[in-house]
Amino acid sequence: MRSRARFAVLLTTASIAFAACSGGGASPSPSSASSVAPPPSTAASAPASQASTEPVTINWWHIANNDPGKSLFQKFADEYHAAHPNVTIKITVLENDTFKPKLQTEIQGGNVPDLFQSWGGGGMAEQVDAGVLKDITADVASWKDTINQGALGMYQYKGKQYGIPYDLGMVGVWYNKDLFQQAGISAPPATWEDLLAAVDKLKAKGITPISVGGSPATWTEMFWWAYLATRECGQETMLKATNDKDWTDPCFVEAGNKVKELVDKKPFQEGFLAANWDGAGGSAATMALQKSGMLLQGQWAPGTMQANTADKKAVPWNLGWFPFPSVSGGKGKATDGFGGGNGFAVGKDAPPEAVDFLKYISEKPQADRLGSLNTGFLPVTVGSESSVTDPQLTSVLDARSKADYVQLYLDQATSTDLGNVINDAVATLFAGTGTPEQVPQTIDASAKSGG
Amino acid sequence: MTLRTGRASASLARPRFGRLGVVVLFPLPALLLYAVFVGIPIIQAAHYSFFKWNGLTPLSNFVGLANYQRALSDATFQLAATHNAIIIFLSLAIQIPFSLGIALMLNRRFAGRWLFRLVFFAPYVISEVIAGVVWRLILQPDGLADGALTAMGLGSLYQPWLADPNTVLWALFVIISWKYFGFHMVIMLAGLQGIPRELEEAAAIDGATRRQAIRYVTLPLLGPTIRVSVFLSIIGALQLFDLIWVTTKGGPVNASNTMATYLVDWGLRRFQLGYGSAIAVILFLVALVVALAYQRFVMRRDIDGAMTTGPV
Amino acid sequence: MATESVSLAQSRSEAGRLSRVAGSSVRWALLLVLTGVIVIPIFYAVIGGFKDNYQLSASPMALPNPWVVSNYTDVLGSDTFWIQLKNSVLIAAITTVVVLVFASLAAFVFARRSFPGREVVFTLFTLGLLFPSAVAILPLFVLVRTLGLLDNPLGIALPQAAFALPLTIIILRPFFRSIPVELEDAALIDGCGTFGFFWRILLPLSRPVLATLAVLTIVASWNQFLLPLVILSDQANWTLPLGVSNFSTQYSSDTARILAYTSLSLVPALVFYLFVERQLVGGLTSGAVKG
Repeated sequence: MRSRARFAVLLTTASIAFAACSGGGASPSPSSASSVAPPPSTAASAPASQASTEPVTINWWHIANNDPGKSLFQKFADEYHAAHPNVTIKITVLENDTFKPKLQTEIQGGNVPDLFQSWGGGGMAEQVDAGVLKDITADVASWKDTINQGALGMYQYKGKQYGIPYDLGMVGVWYNKDLFQQAGISAPPATWEDLLAAVDKLKAKGITPISVGGSPATWTEMFWWAYLATRECGQETMLKATNDKDWTDPCFVEAGNKVKELVDKKPFQEGFLAANWDGAGGSAATMALQKSGMLLQGQWAPGTMQANTADKKAVPWNLGWFPFPSVSGGKGKATDGFGGGNGFAVGKDAPPEAVDFLKYISEKPQADRLGSLNTGFLPVTVGSESSVTDPQLTSVLDARSKADYVQLYLDQATSTDLGNVINDAVATLFAGTGTPEQVPQTIDASAKSGG
Repeated sequence: MTLRTGRASASLARPRFGRLGVVVLFPLPALLLYAVFVGIPIIQAAHYSFFKWNGLTPLSNFVGLANYQRALSDATFQLAATHNAIIIFLSLAIQIPFSLGIALMLNRRFAGRWLFRLVFFAPYVISEVIAGVVWRLILQPDGLADGALTAMGLGSLYQPWLADPNTVLWALFVIISWKYFGFHMVIMLAGLQGIPRELEEAAAIDGATRRQAIRYVTLPLLGPTIRVSVFLSIIGALQLFDLIWVTTKGGPVNASNTMATYLVDWGLRRFQLGYGSAIAVILFLVALVVALAYQRFVMRRDIDGAMTTGPV
Repeated sequence: MATESVSLAQSRSEAGRLSRVAGSSVRWALLLVLTGVIVIPIFYAVIGGFKDNYQLSASPMALPNPWVVSNYTDVLGSDTFWIQLKNSVLIAAITTVVVLVFASLAAFVFARRSFPGREVVFTLFTLGLLFPSAVAILPLFVLVRTLGLLDNPLGIALPQAAFALPLTIIILRPFFRSIPVELEDAALIDGCGTFGFFWRILLPLSRPVLATLAVLTIVASWNQFLLPLVILSDQANWTLPLGVSNFSTQYSSDTARILAYTSLSLVPALVFYLFVERQLVGGLTSGAVKG
């Protein structure tokens, strides 16, 4: 008994001693821990040449918390520092779910980072309204045309620019070519009816047609409804809904009807209502393990599936991608896309060097390096699309370039709040507890009540 | 139990602090810490509840009781409240007796007892995040539960319990019990330590069976501890959040929502901090009523006069 | 009559012994079954750490094949794990010491002294238990920032201690009350002041419950996520729960590595419990209580 306690003490003290001796922390930035205070007052109006001699610190918060993205961003910062020795970039890298609450409290505390991860759209608009972001329209005027205009538009609000994107993707259908062949499906579905027929064929062979996430990942269900809505309603009505808060058009009910059509066929994997998206046992893993035929997801899907394979390399079967099928009678075009991307918003106290750094990472060579990682980043600098060599990602890029209009994720286009309402409402369709009429009704009511 | 004022002893040995000194100085550090780090934030949060606020803009949109009205009339919130009630009932009916039984069993000396105590306490030590992740893996289709049942020939009994709105709350209760019974066990073990063995031995000498000894000697003496445990169980069930959030986020379609997950979902995730604060206050008031009623009616004899009848 | 009662007692003890033996095997069986059921998820987590995501999804029932040791070795070999461990230990230690000292002092007065408004103040303390702390995070953050305790272990330990006070006081009160007045009187007669009685007699007698509360406080502190997230900025100050987030990204998470990491984080807390568990075994000796 006594020796057991002694052993426990030994173990504890040993580990504490080890920790105490294992040296300092892994501070990611090249500089030492400089304070978070706003930069000197010369920042805002001084011309670039004058400011370049004073030491400036840029606080950069991004969410690429794993390699290769993490190292690449660090390299960008180091390179910029080498070219501008007086500028120090202090990086804070956080995982997505820890980033959001942390950013919130930082902003509340009056500490807005100079550059931080943003998804544009309504979420960004809320920050503009709160006075948190800097209007960079004038600062970027000289080089903004080097960026894909559709992507750029997502970071504009009321005609002004508040951030710069570095990636824009599109949601589409990833499918298992081998399973399709087994089921006798000769070509990727081009129309909604084709898709439903494909579902039937896969079911007939005992293959789960579609993999989707549920309770913690209801946004994967939302994708189906949102795409059908984009097809049924078209750009104008969608923009009326997201900007003017009018969700009353019958096209939204029609979208729900089609979702119900699909759900009634029971095409999803067992227990999908509780399935996560990523991680073991999630809908990505189900697809990766060849347990389902189709997956409606964004351009990051291959990466997530890869993490769930035996050797963490590309999936060992034939992966294909086709754009969301067309819907006859809908006001939208078959080339319209649904998706979103990543970018950086500029904080209100940011020095001009911050925008200059944004310019640096948006330049073609840097964008090329981002794309060539082939991890799902689809750069938006004009001309950098060719840096992406992965054949699946190139199909996505093709579709993206063909799209005149890309509808931003609904929970980004509107507000976080309404986005959750939409996810919840659509989830009821998948769980069989809601009707196609109720979905837009709930959304409309919430949007109009200031939701 | 009567408390003597110590008058007699005061004349024999002057205590370093006067009686008043003790009463004031002893609780002072706790009171200060509590007032600063608990009192102020709670009052602030209650303050927020009267505003419509997204946490970014300055606090300016005063809406009075609108947040409260909204919460109380919201069907999802009401559903969440019923889930809390179900969990309270189940906890009291199942968890507490079970923890008590285990504590009684583990109170007697036998070889290897420490190992059992360790094992039974371990789930409580595991963070909620990992508990959620592991149980999801176990309960998913083709997971451990599925495989085990199939191996026993009971494969047809398996259902994706977490995915079905009708069964998800029950499945969660199993997970909750697994995680938290160690907490109650440990408290009751501590209480059992306080019961002198002589009393039980005396009962045995008088001819009582073990069961009788437990029923007539141990349990009554353990009374205060059990009542504390029940109290904590009820309050814990009202505030249940972490485990549910990590496992199902209150879904599917709100089938496993509790008032606390509703709060975090609607108040914090959707940046409606005013609304969230109002729900927190409602939750608080419910818990307060329960706590007061409990103190008044159940713990009365332990406190020699509950708050509502004044001090002894 | 004497012989009757003796033989009665004898047969009773015979029966008693038999039933004890039978009872004890039933007990053993029950304990073993329960242990099996309870330990499975923990076992699963530990073993899961030796798999990778693929194995977790594809063959959840099977043992790892191959055994992916790199999840564990990478974690153990990384600086960050040990640093975070050290931070977690530090914060848990400060929290526990503060809570136990402050709460004991307060509970003593609630248990053994009467004064007007006692129940009111006591109830005031219990109120803290009733408020969902998630909502208090934002004002707490602002408060800690005002006090200049951001990025400081105290900025986490002090609020944690404050929120742990209600539970601790509620549990301590009946225990302190159960110590007989005679003991206190005897101490006073012997020349001990109130504080002397408190420090030299009451607390040592309360070791089981204090040890229990220490364990509960440490566990609660160990698993805290939200508070350290908003208070700490420098990754060198991060605690273990924050470190888990490094194994996920916006789009995917390495479940297997998360399992390995958290299984390792479990170890110190369990070690401490083992250590403290001896106190639970020790318990009250009869000598002090004999009236």
